[in-house]
Amino acid sequence: MSIARSAPPINIRGIAKRFGSVPVLSDLNLDVAPGEFLTLLGPSGSGKTTLLMILAGFVRANAGSIGIGGEEVIAKPPHKRNIGMVFQNYALFPHMNVFHNIAFPLKQRRTPAAETAERVEKALDLVQLQGLADRRVDQLSGGQRQRVALARAIVFEPRIVLMDEPLSALDKGLREHMQIELRSLHRRLGMTTVYVTHDQREAITMSDRIAVMNKGRIEQLDRPETLYARPRTRFVAGFIGESNFIPVECRNDSVWYAAKRVYTASPLPSPGRHWLVVRPERVRLAANAEPDANANLLDATVRDVVYQGDSFICYATLADGQQIALRDYCRGDVLTLLPGAGQPVRLRIEPEDAILLADEI
Amino acid sequence: MRKSRVVSALAVIGITIPVAQALAADTIAVASWGGTYQEAQAKAFFKPTADALGITIKEDTTNGLDDVRLQVTGNAVKWDITELGADECARGSKEGLFEKLDYNVIDKSGINPKLVHDDWVGISYTSVVLIYRTDVFGEKGPKTWADFWNVEKFPGRRALSGSQATETLSVAALAEGIPIDKVYPVDVDGALKSVDKIRGHIDAWWTSGAQAMQLVKDGEVDMASIWNGRAGTLKKEGAPVSFSFDQGVLTADCMVIPKGSKNKDIAMKALAMFVSPQLQANLPLYVDNGPVNEKAFETGKIPQERIKDINSAPENVKKQVLQDAEFWRDNLVEATEKFDNLIQQ
Amino acid sequence: MSAAPADLPDRGGLNADVLSADARREALALLGLCSPGIVLVGIIIVLPIGWLFWLSLFDETGMLSGANYARVVEQASYVRTFITTFEVAFIVTGLCVLLGYPLAYMLSQLPRRAASICLIFVILPFWTSVLVRTYAWLVILQRKGLLNTWLMDLGVISQPLPLAHNFTGVLIGMTHILLPFLVLPLYASMKAIDADYLRAAMNLGAPPTATFWQIFFPLSLPGLAAGVVIVFILCLGFFVTPALMGGGKVIMWAMRMEQTTSLYSNWGAGSALGVVLLAVTLGLLGVFRWLLGARATSAWGAR
Repeated sequence: MSIARSAPPINIRGIAKRFGSVPVLSDLNLDVAPGEFLTLLGPSGSGKTTLLMILAGFVRANAGSIGIGGEEVIAKPPHKRNIGMVFQNYALFPHMNVFHNIAFPLKQRRTPAAETAERVEKALDLVQLQGLADRRVDQLSGGQRQRVALARAIVFEPRIVLMDEPLSALDKGLREHMQIELRSLHRRLGMTTVYVTHDQREAITMSDRIAVMNKGRIEQLDRPETLYARPRTRFVAGFIGESNFIPVECRNDSVWYAAKRVYTASPLPSPGRHWLVVRPERVRLAANAEPDANANLLDATVRDVVYQGDSFICYATLADGQQIALRDYCRGDVLTLLPGAGQPVRLRIEPEDAILLADEI
Repeated sequence: MRKSRVVSALAVIGITIPVAQALAADTIAVASWGGTYQEAQAKAFFKPTADALGITIKEDTTNGLDDVRLQVTGNAVKWDITELGADECARGSKEGLFEKLDYNVIDKSGINPKLVHDDWVGISYTSVVLIYRTDVFGEKGPKTWADFWNVEKFPGRRALSGSQATETLSVAALAEGIPIDKVYPVDVDGALKSVDKIRGHIDAWWTSGAQAMQLVKDGEVDMASIWNGRAGTLKKEGAPVSFSFDQGVLTADCMVIPKGSKNKDIAMKALAMFVSPQLQANLPLYVDNGPVNEKAFETGKIPQERIKDINSAPENVKKQVLQDAEFWRDNLVEATEKFDNLIQQ
Repeated sequence: MSAAPADLPDRGGLNADVLSADARREALALLGLCSPGIVLVGIIIVLPIGWLFWLSLFDETGMLSGANYARVVEQASYVRTFITTFEVAFIVTGLCVLLGYPLAYMLSQLPRRAASICLIFVILPFWTSVLVRTYAWLVILQRKGLLNTWLMDLGVISQPLPLAHNFTGVLIGMTHILLPFLVLPLYASMKAIDADYLRAAMNLGAPPTATFWQIFFPLSLPGLAAGVVIVFILCLGFFVTPALMGGGKVIMWAMRMEQTTSLYSNWGAGSALGVVLLAVTLGLLGVFRWLLGARATSAWGAR
């Protein structure tokens, strides 16, 4: 298996797709680097699956261009694109056993029998299914089917692999295990991979880069840590990880939450209403006597504390009724020191953790 | 006072019991072939009989001897009188499926003695006739079965009955030149040889009267054997056809009282009415099937100009072969098997 | 599981006897629930067929004999009828597959609304009697029928084609009447084929024809098998259409049964034909199962 050497880039330009009069994708541009693991992340109806189908050639776009390694493929039929794909329900052929499923793409390419057997064997080794070649598909567990689907998608050494929520049918433990395995397989084979999921944790775990999609557009394309730390839209901030959204206003060259000055490292936005976004784990409990030092201090009342094993979440209410959540690890005796429900607390937010986002609505 | 009450009570009982019996026996069930034929029978026979006897006649339709056999052997007789083909009557008689008829009640005079038996009696006649299309042959079409068999002189498409072996074998015997009065007893093997000669030129072996009619009407065949009733209908509808009773094969229908009928006595009276000249004379007013009782022609009910078109009119009977029911009773199975074997080759 | 105390017998456990008694009671109750169905099947299927078989063993005089079966074997016309019946059944089934498969495929590929409208046209003929449809074919196919008239008017042919009152007529009429019985189960099984299988095949490099033959066709086989069996069995018992369209020259088994029943005074004569047809049909069904069964079960099993 030597995909890495020939892994091409994918260049998507101006893709538009309507179903009837309903636009699903509009003027979409995306570049996937050679050998990159890129995830299309978004809620259902965001257009991520449609984009994948257009890439595979199952759906015809209304306009646009897809270059694979510099070659235009937008009008090529699917069977000539040489792209491997793993389907959400695996789409293993029920009338063939494991061997014939995996050998199917080789058979289409008229690979000699001996070579076919050898490559199927290798692919089975790669997904750790040695000795299951003669099994019928309906005799396999969900995880095994997943692996067969994967083996089938890579056995013909495609330049590009597409995956459409391949882990969504697995239970949590197996899913997390497969995430790591897929990731390491990608590292070993180095094929350019486009992965579709609606699970943000999965996306963050596996991807080199994530394209967050919403309503047929890419809201933000970035490395996972950038996406998390610096969401550029309220949608991204809400979709990836948990966030507190606090309404603020920009006036007189500074930002205000009600009558309180807000300190932020974000560049000063235009005057008007904005959202202050803070991750719960970036909110701290402040000692009452702590000096001001340009940090944001907010007085609140504890509503509830939820114990989650490794961490806890404290839900608090600000004076005007604004809800705010705080998360921290359960280190030492922090739990016993926590204030109970109804008690006043002071919350501290560092300026670099206070992200300002435009009010979209 | 006391005595008179007893008397009146007795009187009431004495009157009531026979009335109740009469009420119970008031209805008889009669089965026939259905269609226009049975409608004609209802007008000619059933209604006048019901009116005269003060009974109700409930009508049903039959498929033939199988139905009677099923009812009698299954001890579920629901018909008091049923119509059958004469050969079926002869066979059923041999199997003992019918009640004996009382010829003190039924007047058999005027009915061909061949159709008067211990347990069955003729009711009407059908003829098998040769029909041809005048748009193909003009008036010079095949007139005899020998003509029908002559494929050089009369080229054209032909149909014969495949379901009524008795009729087709009779016709085949006539085609060999056997005179009308010598056809019976049929030389079955000779007749089969005759069928063998023509069978390669038969385009359709019909299995029902409607089919025979449709074949001729649509020009699917140019000549055919056909029942006279169907032939008459075609002519009335204006189809370009011609037929006559020359060399026709007269086939009688008969009526029987299935063994185990619960209203045997009333059925007997009704049957006596059906075969009486007066009611028999009604039949040709409604349908082309001729009356079985030749006295019907003396009643004056049938218009003179109609008589020549009736297959059982004395003049026409002379031109035709009467199928011998008792011959077929004994030879039907073997002859039919051989016939089927032949035409299916 | 901890080890049982030494003083308890090996086979017993806590409440073991109560639980096994309960299991027995449940089995009996289930049998009780099934019994109406078993009785019904017994009365309307097993008994009559048994009786049919019993009757077939008696000759006209009421004596136990094999005469009814001997006749079927010895008389050439019965053997010929038998061969004709299966010939017609095989050809009609074949024609139904040739016409029905593309039709079902087309229906399965149409959008749902269009497909349901087209399906109505497939099912519509069910609402008219077989007799009417057969006569309609006669009107179209006979010598002076619509088709021959048109073709002759157009100068395509000079002599009418022999389409009715022969073997061809029987095939046309029966194929038309039986086609829906093939299309409906086939359509259902085609609809059940996940489009992802076809996408996967294309994605893996199979051109459309290969995708059809290697993926779609094998997956549609269970529906095809069901349709083929239904059509074939119905063919074997067909009566009206061959009687009217065959011109008396195509005699099928059911027609022979009718003839025999009215010709012989003993029911056994006809019964024997019924028993022979039943036995051969069951034998063929066994062969069908054996031929298609393995593939069919594996394809169904995955659903």
